[in-house]
Amino acid sequence: MTLNYKSNGVPQGLIFNIQKFSLHDGPGIRTMVFLKGCPLACTWCSNPEGQSASPELMLTCDRCIDQEECERCIAVCLEHVLTWDDDGKLRIDRAHCDGCGDCAYVCPSRALEVSGEWVGVDDVVRIVEEDDAFHARSGGGLTVSGGEPLAQGAFVRALLEAARSRGIDTAVETSGLCNWKTMRDIAPLADRIFFDIKCLDPDKHEQVTGVSNTKILDNFQRLRAEFPEVDVVVRTPVVPGVNDSEDDIRAIAEFVDDAGGASAYELLPYHGFGEPKYTKLGKHYPLSHLVPPSEARMKELRGIAASCGAPGSGAV
Amino acid sequence: MLGAVESSQTSPGSRVLTPHEARIERGEPIGLVGDAAQSKRARIQRMLEGFRDEPIHLNIDRALLLTESMKATQGQPMVLRWGKALAHILTHHPIHIEDEELLVGSAGPPGRYAVVYCELVGPGRFYTHPHELEPSKSGDPILITEQDVATLKDEILPYWESNAYHAATMNALPEETRRLMERIFVVTPTASGRSMLAWAHDYGKVLERGIGSIRREAAERLEALDPVDTAAYVEQRPFLEAVRLVCDAMIAFAHRYAELARSMAADERREERRRELLEIADICERVPEHPARTFHEAVQSQWLVQTVSRLEQAIGGVVGNGRIDQYLYPYYRKDVAEGRLTDDEALVLLESIWIGMARSTDVYAKPGMPSLTDGFAHWEATTIGGLTPDGRDASNELSYLILRSKREFPLHYPDLAARIHARTPNAFLHAISETIKDGSGFPKLFCDDEIIPLLVAKGGSMEEANDYCITGCSETKMLNTEGIATGCAWINLGAILEMTLRNGRMGCYGDGLVGISTGDPRTFTSFDELWDAFTLQVQNVVQHTFIQQYVSDTLKSQYIASPMFSMLHDLCMASCKDIHSGPIDGALYLGFFDVMGFGTVIDSLAAIRALVFDEKKVTMHELLDALDHDFEGHEAVRQLCLNAPKYGNNDPTVDHIGRDIEECFARLARQHTTAFGGELDLRYVSVTSHVPLGAVVGATPDGRKAREPLSESISPSQGMDVKGPTATLMSISSTKCAQYKERAARLLNMKLSPASLVGEAGTRKLMALIRAACDMKMWHIQFNIINRDTLLAAQKDPDKYRNLLVRVAGYSAYFVDLTPALQNEIIRRTEHEF
Repeated sequence: MTLNYKSNGVPQGLIFNIQKFSLHDGPGIRTMVFLKGCPLACTWCSNPEGQSASPELMLTCDRCIDQEECERCIAVCLEHVLTWDDDGKLRIDRAHCDGCGDCAYVCPSRALEVSGEWVGVDDVVRIVEEDDAFHARSGGGLTVSGGEPLAQGAFVRALLEAARSRGIDTAVETSGLCNWKTMRDIAPLADRIFFDIKCLDPDKHEQVTGVSNTKILDNFQRLRAEFPEVDVVVRTPVVPGVNDSEDDIRAIAEFVDDAGGASAYELLPYHGFGEPKYTKLGKHYPLSHLVPPSEARMKELRGIAASCGAPGSGAV
Repeated sequence: MLGAVESSQTSPGSRVLTPHEARIERGEPIGLVGDAAQSKRARIQRMLEGFRDEPIHLNIDRALLLTESMKATQGQPMVLRWGKALAHILTHHPIHIEDEELLVGSAGPPGRYAVVYCELVGPGRFYTHPHELEPSKSGDPILITEQDVATLKDEILPYWESNAYHAATMNALPEETRRLMERIFVVTPTASGRSMLAWAHDYGKVLERGIGSIRREAAERLEALDPVDTAAYVEQRPFLEAVRLVCDAMIAFAHRYAELARSMAADERREERRRELLEIADICERVPEHPARTFHEAVQSQWLVQTVSRLEQAIGGVVGNGRIDQYLYPYYRKDVAEGRLTDDEALVLLESIWIGMARSTDVYAKPGMPSLTDGFAHWEATTIGGLTPDGRDASNELSYLILRSKREFPLHYPDLAARIHARTPNAFLHAISETIKDGSGFPKLFCDDEIIPLLVAKGGSMEEANDYCITGCSETKMLNTEGIATGCAWINLGAILEMTLRNGRMGCYGDGLVGISTGDPRTFTSFDELWDAFTLQVQNVVQHTFIQQYVSDTLKSQYIASPMFSMLHDLCMASCKDIHSGPIDGALYLGFFDVMGFGTVIDSLAAIRALVFDEKKVTMHELLDALDHDFEGHEAVRQLCLNAPKYGNNDPTVDHIGRDIEECFARLARQHTTAFGGELDLRYVSVTSHVPLGAVVGATPDGRKAREPLSESISPSQGMDVKGPTATLMSISSTKCAQYKERAARLLNMKLSPASLVGEAGTRKLMALIRAACDMKMWHIQFNIINRDTLLAAQKDPDKYRNLLVRVAGYSAYFVDLTPALQNEIIRRTEHEF
């Protein structure tokens, strides 16, 4: 595994998952490519392995067999970052782990895995095209997601160009936080852009995502102004206690409307499915025990969004 | 590496229930679905009340009458003896008409029943030896009385003990072949478990011509037999006499029902029922003797033919319904056009057939024996859709009506099969997808674009191939083209792998040689050496399988004949030969052998190649040691095995092993010819046998523990296809050797979570998935749309979930009726959730 951004001049992307048969991220049956690295750190993030922009070790303790039988990982680690703790559980000194993956290679039970691999455009396209028959029959295609895919702008641009030249439908899911230049290059290459707007209050935004929303909102306005023909779907993850008030949703809907609208405005209920992955990464999940919004509440909020002129989406 | 880590999705997370699950959660009693159906088909609703609580009675009347007749005809030509026996049965078998019934005819006593086919003594049937017969205990699913046992032991079985087809097929085997067959579940012959493989009749012929016309044909040809042509006179006369006898008996059988209906009408006080009984009498006087004129007559005629078929012989999986939406359609259309029939009235008649089928139970394994077809499965496969003989889309209003019945009728009959092709209308596919989404596992799907070219390659005409129907769980038949298919052998691929790893031996059969000696794998220095040993074991097993089949085929006609079946087959009538006797002019003989444990063995070979030879993470010595100890004390090795590359994830290196295995079998199949000049094709349909077959196989290098089930049919190992359904389908497609015509069914079960198919958008995506699967030319695919939680809850509280249907393998069954091993196996199948 090489930490190169390019190999033989071909852009490579740092990818943590390619997921087939996705049914909820664009039209038809889709293949999702998840890129690693994100400038935001949302408290509710369901793909925490997508945050760091380098390969990371993930440890699934229930898979680890006991130390009587196996110490292969400890034996192979040159940095000596793996040890048994007092309870006989494997520990990682993450500060000194370089994510080389040697331990994961020898681990018999996949208790240790490396999240993140550098993959070239051609290889990604090859994997996406394995599902040609399904894309063709369903009107599906490729959806690039993350992490924040536009943080790897050159790679995404090359990937979308390759996909388009081969007749693959393309979609991008973005937090909207990137250089305008990247957004400008990507916009004409995507058949659809899913643009997250999490909340309009800049202070609250910074508090829950770690960054201000100024650049995001600015990018959205420019995207609508300069590429009015691009199909943009706005999405808001509805997180209880963060942005689930009627005012929050109304403010976003009105902002979108003022900026030139969107082809759909989707509200996605928060879910806690990502929590186990925090444990695997040795991270703390701040929203443990947060209850997802009820179906009734989501319906109310969707009603409010619709009353502000935002076209709803039947997809959710 | 990619995709090793799950990522979260934006899909709705709340638990979504299918309509079928929701009805069970609400504790609804069994009945038609929806108020409209319940009120408009109140008769069916009443007939369904308490259906699941009725005990299953043995029908030994048929066995008694058959034995009586066979004793009296000793020495006569076999086809004539069976003709006389069937006539004797039809004349004397008790008959009844149940209250509410519009459709009459039953192969058993009132309520639910199981026919005893005494001519098929042997393993696989419900007893193996008379001394094992016992009256049933309370709680047993089948009611066997002391009187039943006494009659069987005293009057029936002694005759068949000395006239048993099964014993003959085993005694006639060469020594080496018998030794292999006697090791239970290595190669399992099934020839003597049923008199023939799944089939349907040409019902359309009966509806159009009537039995009377067939009788006239037989009589005229008897008249025309020229004694100067001695051979024809001697060979053909018994057949034609048997046909004439059977036609007369069938007509008289219908007339017995007419008479009974009239006498019941005379005593009937309810005016409406009296009128119904008189109508039944009129219809049974008319059909099946004469051509049907109305939908009601057509359905009654079909059902009487089916009933007589059940009394004649045990067709494997029970006789199918053929292309019911085709041969019934002219009668439906005419009645509807002339205002005689509403859709609800048509449904009542169709659902009367379904109830009639559900009342009959196929008893195979006796209680306590390893269950080969769990849940007392039988498959009256009922085909809808597909192409017309001249290659146009065949779906019609009746096809949609039958799908509607499938959504509203609560029992797991009929076993509905839909044929799909490139030009299947979207509307039909939509109705199919909505029916699948209801969640009880119907219909199963067959891809015309795969099957028709194969049937043509095997020798069918375009017209016949276009008109094929489904029989059994996943077979196909060209009804007037194919000759008999004797029950096929099941080859335990897991056992072959074990023989390869143990130099011809198997752990559960001690030190004696089971297969052939192919060397100690510890001495092998490359994967190729192991592969060569494996193919030699395969070759040995396949050779003996063909020998066993040859013996079974050639002995059959000395024991069994089926004149009713034969008279409905064009080629049998043309040559005046019973279907069970020797090669029939113009008939195609397309049998098959099943290979069980495909996924298990692909994964095992892939693991050995990766771990022992490529990555060298374990030595062959360590691996075999771990297998010998069932991985006890070798957890690290087991984990390596479990995490080695697996079939079902579109990994070309793994899938290629599957392709090599298929090619190895297909090449051997091409080299051999059967007794009647036909072929035995490679098929992957395990039904539920992968559970008992797994019980003789030790631990395998895919990480499977000893005695656990093998992988099922063509499906990847349970829970090992983790990259979603498209990758699963791609892998299955990659293992196919399309250059061979010596291929038959590949049965695929796919489990999808209800949440992934919510709403109209979900239906459209299921339609796209099915279209793509057909583009990839999957022979067969069926879906379980069910939540894992529901299955777990059903194990804990079987009473509440008594009516929960699940797709097993080519059929649906009540989950709580399955053995715990099979329940667990179904739970472990991968649920694709998105």
